[in-house]
Amino acid sequence: MKKLPIYYFMLCMLCCYEGMAQQSITLRGKVLDETGIPLAGVSIAIKDTQSITSTNESGDFTIQYASPAVLEATALGFVSQTFNLTDQTTLTIRLMPSEETLEEVVVVGYGTQRKGEVTSAIARVNAEDFTKGTVRDAAQLIQGKVAGLRITTPNGDPNATTQINLRGLNSINGSQNPLVLIDGIPGNIATVAPEDIESVDVLKDGSAAAIYGTRATGGVVLITTRKNRSAEPRTSIEYNNYANVQTIFRKPEMMDANDYRRLIAEGYAYGDSSGNTNWIDEVLQNPISHNHNLTFFGGSSRTNFTGSLNYRNWEGIFLKSGQERLNFRADLNHDMFDGKLRTNLQVINQSLTSKQGGAGGWAWRQAMIRNPTEPIKNPDGTWKEGNAYMYDNPLGIIHETIDDRIFRETRFSGSLDYRPIGDLSLKMLLSRVLSNNLTGDATSFQHVNTTKNSLNGTANRATASNEENLLELTANYNKNFGDHHLTLLGGYSWQHNVGESFSVYNFNFPNDDYTYNRLQTGMGLREGLATMESDKNKWQLAGFFGRVNYVWKNRYMAMASVRREGSSTFGENYQWGTFPAFSVGWNLANEEFMQPVEFVSNFKLRAGFGVTGTIASSSYQSQTSYNFDITQGAFINGEWVPGFVPARNFNPDLRWEKKEEWNVGLDFGFFNDRLTGALDYYTRTVKDLLYSFGVPTPPYLYSSMMLNAGTMKNSGFEALVNVKAVDTETIKWNTNVTFSTNKNELVNLSNDQFNVTQEFFDWGHTGEPIQVSTHRVRVGGPIGQFFVLKSVGVDDNGKWLVENKDGETIPIGDATPEDRQYYGNGIPKYNLGWNNSINIQRFDFAVNFRGAFGHQVLNMQRLYYENPVNKAYNVLKTAYDPVYGKQLDNDLVYVSHYIEDADYLKIDNVTLGYTFRPNMIKGVSNLRVYVSGLNLYTFTGYKGIDPEAVNMGTIGNQNFTFSPGIDHRDKYPNTRTYTVGLNLVF
Amino acid sequence: MKTKIIAFTLASTIAFGAGISSCTNLDEEVYSEILEKNFNPTERDLPFILAPVYAPFRTLMFGWQGYFDLQEESADIIITPVRPNGWDDGGTFRRMHQHNWTSEQWQPTNTWNQAYSAISRANRVIMQIEDGALPLPEEVGRNAIAELRAARALAYYLLLDNHGNVPIVTDYRDASLPEQSTRQEVYDFIVMELTEALPLLSEDVGPMYGRMNRWAAKALLTKIYLNAAVYTGSPQWEKVIQEANDIIDSDAYSLDMNYSDVFTYTNENSGEIMFAVPYDEIYGTGSQIHMKTLDPLSRLVYSMSAGPWGGNCAVPQFIDTYDPDDMRLYDTWIQGPQYHATTGNEVINYVKPVPGIGGDGTVAPSNAGYRIGKYEIKRGATNNLDNDYPMFRYADVLMMKAEALLRTGNAIAAATLVTEVRQRAFKDNPAKATVTGPQLLLGSSYNYGWQNKDGSVDGMNGGADIQYGRFLDELGWEFAAEARRRQDLIRFGVFQTKTWFNHRPHAQAQTRTLFPIPFAELTKNPNLTQNAGY
Repeated sequence: MKKLPIYYFMLCMLCCYEGMAQQSITLRGKVLDETGIPLAGVSIAIKDTQSITSTNESGDFTIQYASPAVLEATALGFVSQTFNLTDQTTLTIRLMPSEETLEEVVVVGYGTQRKGEVTSAIARVNAEDFTKGTVRDAAQLIQGKVAGLRITTPNGDPNATTQINLRGLNSINGSQNPLVLIDGIPGNIATVAPEDIESVDVLKDGSAAAIYGTRATGGVVLITTRKNRSAEPRTSIEYNNYANVQTIFRKPEMMDANDYRRLIAEGYAYGDSSGNTNWIDEVLQNPISHNHNLTFFGGSSRTNFTGSLNYRNWEGIFLKSGQERLNFRADLNHDMFDGKLRTNLQVINQSLTSKQGGAGGWAWRQAMIRNPTEPIKNPDGTWKEGNAYMYDNPLGIIHETIDDRIFRETRFSGSLDYRPIGDLSLKMLLSRVLSNNLTGDATSFQHVNTTKNSLNGTANRATASNEENLLELTANYNKNFGDHHLTLLGGYSWQHNVGESFSVYNFNFPNDDYTYNRLQTGMGLREGLATMESDKNKWQLAGFFGRVNYVWKNRYMAMASVRREGSSTFGENYQWGTFPAFSVGWNLANEEFMQPVEFVSNFKLRAGFGVTGTIASSSYQSQTSYNFDITQGAFINGEWVPGFVPARNFNPDLRWEKKEEWNVGLDFGFFNDRLTGALDYYTRTVKDLLYSFGVPTPPYLYSSMMLNAGTMKNSGFEALVNVKAVDTETIKWNTNVTFSTNKNELVNLSNDQFNVTQEFFDWGHTGEPIQVSTHRVRVGGPIGQFFVLKSVGVDDNGKWLVENKDGETIPIGDATPEDRQYYGNGIPKYNLGWNNSINIQRFDFAVNFRGAFGHQVLNMQRLYYENPVNKAYNVLKTAYDPVYGKQLDNDLVYVSHYIEDADYLKIDNVTLGYTFRPNMIKGVSNLRVYVSGLNLYTFTGYKGIDPEAVNMGTIGNQNFTFSPGIDHRDKYPNTRTYTVGLNLVF
Repeated sequence: MKTKIIAFTLASTIAFGAGISSCTNLDEEVYSEILEKNFNPTERDLPFILAPVYAPFRTLMFGWQGYFDLQEESADIIITPVRPNGWDDGGTFRRMHQHNWTSEQWQPTNTWNQAYSAISRANRVIMQIEDGALPLPEEVGRNAIAELRAARALAYYLLLDNHGNVPIVTDYRDASLPEQSTRQEVYDFIVMELTEALPLLSEDVGPMYGRMNRWAAKALLTKIYLNAAVYTGSPQWEKVIQEANDIIDSDAYSLDMNYSDVFTYTNENSGEIMFAVPYDEIYGTGSQIHMKTLDPLSRLVYSMSAGPWGGNCAVPQFIDTYDPDDMRLYDTWIQGPQYHATTGNEVINYVKPVPGIGGDGTVAPSNAGYRIGKYEIKRGATNNLDNDYPMFRYADVLMMKAEALLRTGNAIAAATLVTEVRQRAFKDNPAKATVTGPQLLLGSSYNYGWQNKDGSVDGMNGGADIQYGRFLDELGWEFAAEARRRQDLIRFGVFQTKTWFNHRPHAQAQTRTLFPIPFAELTKNPNLTQNAGY
């Protein structure tokens, strides 16, 4: 504004020249910033003329020019832009912040916000900071880069996704998973290819997430896909590819044939089948995977598009395992009416195919326990099988099973953004997500299903389809006046989802050539022994929301929001819930009195509070409904009839879980932002926990019912520190550290309606043959505690000595269940990430470390395979090592000996790249090659395969939520990945 | 002006959303369930509504760690020892054997849950009939309620026998926390319910198979009177005889020709079974008794489509009590070499010795111990057997009457009945079938005492001192593996006093005749008090 007199002077000059211009054309335009906020005071000039003007408060300008001409728009703190004008009369200009004053923008719920004005705990990771090389899904891109967000790779299965946990466990029966929005539309972390992602924002605390109400307790992950921008329409093609090989992270050392023969000679009762097979090697392969990504950008300032194709073919480390995926995405933007109406259309299509054999947990277990002296096949070419209990040839399982899956998902979305006046945006977003999953599996006549169990071939077919529709109407008002900046948001959201499924299982086929493609030939269904099932369900979610942001002089900031949301999955009496939030911030660095303190560039204190909810895990839990159920039928009047039974104990009072969270934080920047970071402390209380609560039988029909009953607390500290350690023209080294802690407590588990309290519940299971639970969750204690007999020694006969409840040492035979005790916890107390990126001239180098500390892991490989009692199964070479100086001769039992400290630090990702000079090859503006390694090395005392690769949450149909830290014996082993890749921009 | 536009637009956006009424309509649309309001039952639906009352008995009897295990593994005939392929299972089977169960032990909890499931379902259907929600002709409704009360009494009988002091709940509408009743009150309640229901119960035999008809209810009443001294301290021997006579005089049932006929996979045709829990490999699944007992190798003997698990077997000391000419020894227990169904090769040889229950490192070989073969395993069996579980059978009525006669000083008459039951077991040696009154007054031939790993028995307190021990032996031979040994042992005072296999009398043996109230129920219902000794 200070420069205004100069502009007036210029304007006068312009007027003087006006008469001289030939065929003068009037151009009306508008200048917006990156987020669409109008920019005032932008200088607009026609090059090589005296024609110059500046934008008004609404960002509008008018200028005369003679075609052809070049227009230049400049403003302090923004990158200048030029446009070639030929007879145009309107123009919308987007200015990008210049490097020096680049003020980062973060994506918040239903909009964006300048980072300097953010008052909540929001973390943003941009593409340049993503994990490089082979990346499984969006979560792995930001692994170790967001404090408080624990992302782990549970196994090496190419069909699996990563596990995400934000700020501890916050629900019992609701989802722990964060809400993942892809450009505002619900999806999951595998919805788009990692290569298609521009940035990932994580709303961590309640004050930020509350705008998403009922789905936000696990946090909100906002994925922004790569898009062309109207301001700088790129016309380019990018091609990225990589290829990788994987090796097993650590191979279990089972006894080999020589060990068997040595032990047989020593008198142990092992069998020698005179072969020599390394079963582990036999079931593994050397997987080679490749990934290709092609992205197109094009268009003009009005209309532009982004298109991308991603093809990925991954092999797994198990024989005949892998996945092929093709992603397609098209994004089209069009501006009309001087930028007043902006439209967007996006289509994302994913088709995923896997054609696998029978490799999996069961085959892996069989490979480990199989006698190494057994040959793979009989002389007649059939699979060598034995008759021991639960003992099948793993190669027979792998090769005689077909396991096919096709998954297709198409997401259509469109939005209209109307800006009647510069500061107001009215937006309508519509989307439809259609998905179909079709599986087919079959076993041949050579499979044990037939050779042992006489089933004569088995086959399954299952299909599931889902449709999810979303309508969102939002109004956004964004206004600067004087020292004030005000943003208002109001909106409405409607979502509904219909899921349908159908499956058939059949067996007893005349021939196994059909596999699963002619199920009607099997006799199992006709004999009444096979099964067929179908299901359909639906849920709806409606929400109204509003938010106010206010900033004064960039010093004082405040935000308040509320969402009123209703879900069909809750009882009639409690369908609607209200989720308020507020937060405040104070940036001391912008105070007058701090101006002399030059090294402080940012020092913002934040505090916030917010309420979020957790939705019921499935529909109909409150309904009074019945089913005909064959399993509840009986023999009545000489025939079998199905029983008509209530579907559940009815609870019309079912309602939201509510999480209340306080968060205080500090964002800082020192030495001209060479050192930046954020500290956060949170404490969250989840009330009305949904728990399948034990109710007395009698009077209730079922011994449990879904009730709101209980309180859980989590608190923790998070730190992020970024340092531009070296920042010269030729050498740059950025390093950042993330650190987080979490403390969890189940405060109570009780319900007023029943005036009863649950003191604890058991969770987790060892599986056969030990058959006991592994964890106990106790009121007043943290989630994740192992509950086990504490082993303190081994007696002279090789039997375990354990500690009883009075602390005395007793033989395990005398131990009772009361002697079990809490021993360790599977959830890390501390998580650490350390990420480095170094650029030396044209080389780039990245190395990431990740660690977790203060937790234990139940090593199930050792639990089952480090005990030589069962001579029918192979065991680890260490099984004959003395334990407490004695040779173990005990039944397989769950004792604390197998629970290990699992602190670890991983060298997770190391990437070295080289970028060639631009246009070294004609037409290629950028060419980079790189090599990368993933999960390279782990510093740990843990004896199993990988201390990080343990289960949390729900994997397949097993729920590990309350039994974290189990390194399962059947787990698909983790791998180490070596990648070479290429990035090309034309 | 601008502000007004903004305010108007914001307001209209929200109003637009709110105005679309369908977009705030959160009524659930239900597809795969039947809403109560949409179901208008008629008499035709009665079987579907009755069925769930009987269904829990399937899970209860032969399900995993069900009633069968509860009655047999706590007694002296069947054990589940640790084997090479597992079966330590945290010591749960050992605790059953050694009476070290706690209130968290699953087997008694399982019985509690399933029994109350049947009770709660019966209460619900009774309410539906009484309220007219299930409109039935008056007589049909009255008879249905009588049957439901009898079925409910059966479930209460299981609780009376196992947990003793349990809450009596009869009104489905009442969701308040029920009060605990004493064992005497539960006994009185069952007797009253059965007495009231009896006149209305059907006398039909065939159509009422698997349901509570008049004779099944009478058999139940006889059983309760037989154990009345245990339940209440007051014996009811005369009533036992009276009820048994009613059944015998009706001529509705008779002993099957062969002992094994009662347990075949088509035993719904048996003329001896009075009340069965019907099982079916397709429709009424849940009988996995063969899966638990057979070694995996036996799959080849029966061409099974599932691999059994190789767990429980007979206590060698009990096998030693049999007369080798007693056919029931071979009809009840799978023993000796077993042959492949098609090749004829021997696949496994079940031997009598079992070294120990385990827990001290003893591991029983996979072929150790005779296996339960009473329930005929059909060729090609799946993991669910077809054989119905005979809960009450005519032979039992005869034996109950015999026991009451014996205990009331009428040993001669008792011996006649016992002989009648024995005859089919000694077809090749008819002379051995006969039992005399004085014989019945002898002690037991069971060599009670601690069994060492080598099979020798220490302690040598034997069974000679057991009053009517011979009659107890008769019950063992006739009813082994019929999920009732625990009750018989308690009535004869053996359960609390004797040592067998790796079981010694518990330090608080007198309290072990009742199982604890399940821990989970105690925490859920503060009105409940734990049984003594737990």
